[in-house]
Amino acid sequence: MGDLKMAKANTFDAIVVGSGMSGGWAAKELTERGLQTLVLERGRNLRHIVDYHTALKDPWQLPHHNRPTQQDRAAQPIQSTLYLYDQSTKQHFVNDLEHPYHQALPFNWYRGSHVGGRSLMWARHVFRYSDLDFEANLREGTGIDWPIRYADIAPWYEHVERFIGASGENADLPQLPDQILQPPFDMNAFEKHIRSRFAAKFTDRKLICSATAVLSREHNGRGPCQGRNQCARGCPFSAYFSSNGVTLPAAAATGRLTLQPDSIVHSLIYDDAKGRVSGVRVIHAETKQTTEYFARVVFLCASTLGSTAILMNSRSPRFPDGLGNDSGVLGHYLMDHHNGGGAVGSYSKLLDRYYRGRRSTSMYIPRFRNVANREKDFMRGYGYEVYTSRQNWTRGLETAEFGAAFKDEITRPGKWQLFMEGYGETLPYKDNRVWLDAERRDPWGMPTLNVSMTYRENERRMSEQMMIDAVEMLKAADVEEVAGFNRETIPGSVIHEMGTARMGRDPKTSVLNKYNQVHAVPNVFVTDGSCMVSSPTQNPSLTYMALTARASAYAVEQLGKGKI
Amino acid sequence: MINRRNFLQGTSVLMAHASFAQVVATFLASRAAAETSHQPAFLSADELSRVALLVDLILPETDSPAATAAGTHEFVDLALDACASPKQQATFRSGLEALAASGFDAMSGQERVAWLRRRAASDVTRAYDESFFKILKDYTLTGYFHSEIGATKALAYERIPGGFQGDIALAADQKAWAI
Repeated sequence: MGDLKMAKANTFDAIVVGSGMSGGWAAKELTERGLQTLVLERGRNLRHIVDYHTALKDPWQLPHHNRPTQQDRAAQPIQSTLYLYDQSTKQHFVNDLEHPYHQALPFNWYRGSHVGGRSLMWARHVFRYSDLDFEANLREGTGIDWPIRYADIAPWYEHVERFIGASGENADLPQLPDQILQPPFDMNAFEKHIRSRFAAKFTDRKLICSATAVLSREHNGRGPCQGRNQCARGCPFSAYFSSNGVTLPAAAATGRLTLQPDSIVHSLIYDDAKGRVSGVRVIHAETKQTTEYFARVVFLCASTLGSTAILMNSRSPRFPDGLGNDSGVLGHYLMDHHNGGGAVGSYSKLLDRYYRGRRSTSMYIPRFRNVANREKDFMRGYGYEVYTSRQNWTRGLETAEFGAAFKDEITRPGKWQLFMEGYGETLPYKDNRVWLDAERRDPWGMPTLNVSMTYRENERRMSEQMMIDAVEMLKAADVEEVAGFNRETIPGSVIHEMGTARMGRDPKTSVLNKYNQVHAVPNVFVTDGSCMVSSPTQNPSLTYMALTARASAYAVEQLGKGKI
Repeated sequence: MINRRNFLQGTSVLMAHASFAQVVATFLASRAAAETSHQPAFLSADELSRVALLVDLILPETDSPAATAAGTHEFVDLALDACASPKQQATFRSGLEALAASGFDAMSGQERVAWLRRRAASDVTRAYDESFFKILKDYTLTGYFHSEIGATKALAYERIPGGFQGDIALAADQKAWAI
């Protein structure tokens, strides 16, 4: 009797695993379509605004004037290598010692463990993919074909953009489809100069303000951006998109959301008789007690590696190698972007121009390589993020100078400086992969992940060209002191890890169908980065959001028809 | 619409209810801290007074206060204790020992400048971890320009700029933005 009562209390229409970029969207769409929805988050609760304790701190109000300590680095040896990591943001990243994984080959896994996940600390760039991307695998014989085309996802891009609110500039290029955007943030004088030089010298390259999920205008009572550029602390003005500030509140407003932090999903419960999943097993993060929750449909939105690990850990006689893994490809074809190639430069004119405020986005050079034809000795292409500013006091760090004249000099705005890096596509390789290690368990007794990924010849050739093109463009724009770079980078570092539970047309070679539905288990959907079939040039989060919204609408429709 | 002005008003209203006592306590604590002398964490008292001389050689009083006025020497001490690696700590300590051995305490102001100039010239080509001068300068500049005095008096600082203006005329007396 007690068990029955418990089961009833723990039964929902839908369960969403993860509350980040994708999970927030699943929560919003499923609740708005009438489903009582339980969102399970493995990390702690983190309330919008109320829990952004460092958001408005001045540098001198932060420990050690915002510099990490040796103790911080010891607890977060991986997270602390991230450019975002400091005293104001460290609480948004996991303690690496408590969240172990194994690097069969070097792989940086940056993540948080809290409500909102990485939607709290992301870099906010939101670009659409085009058919150049969706057709690439088929055209060039890499991996498998995407089961969708631009026309399938375009209405969902629009649906997402209208809700999240993004600003920026449409490129008017077929490879970077136009979006619903608020006016862009201003360019500075140096950027305007570069833009006009590009227009004069190139037919295929342009500098635009990145499409960014940061509001330049008020939108649904949020924003606009106040020019702090301290987004990763959490935004008290709700000016950038986060799950905490946008989708989860919308889901809560329906009255059908149950959000439960500290809930680590151990596995999905497979009902052999029905050929369906009946629910999930959850370990409480603090008490370590196990509880089962039940629903008609389950959405895995636990991040690329998180969702794949849950599928792998969901073993049954029917699925001895992980739920939905009839194809054997689960865990394979891990991708990330690579950003090793680029250039730096400076500019000593336009010194009578300055700016006010801190813009929280970059300028962007959309992909121009291998667009109309294959023109280089590698497949695919890259776009660039471009960052410029006038030098500040940090230019005094490396010199031998000191004293009154030195102090006077470095407290004035210096010359213009520029940093640009390419974001290149990585091809899907079967042996770039993750697998569970049953011998090594995490503090909750869960098997840990092994990760093995390398960049290959195609990425190396592309990276070299990323540098060459960057240097050429800066020189064409009369930029001074131009120096190219082509660095070896560690996979995972772009934090666009994707693939490992890919979509496809054929259940023999893929885990998910064109609606992100597990081929063999129709009431399980996986809608985060793990579904990716290739890794186009553009930043991927907008696509995860659009695919999640699309899959949610489909799941509700199928539930209504009694098909799942 | 939430904008800068009514957001700030909202915060002060909240503070009046929830945290007024806390704000007062914080203020009193910071005043108490200012009144009691800094207890060195990594440096000895003698070393701390030498570091105080050094940070003011690097960032002396100009139209803005000197480094020590912002407590920069104390920041250097705390950062050496908590932020520096053992290797960096060892480099810094041996740098200070060389300084003391060279009779720094008895030097005139000009002699001290000359000593630091020689040290900077030989250290500037060394790797950071092995460069006394680079570590000293890093902590001095960070400590000062991320202090309230450094950020607001030597530089220009806006906690909440209120938006972004990308292309404006540079005023003659415009200081660089602190962050």
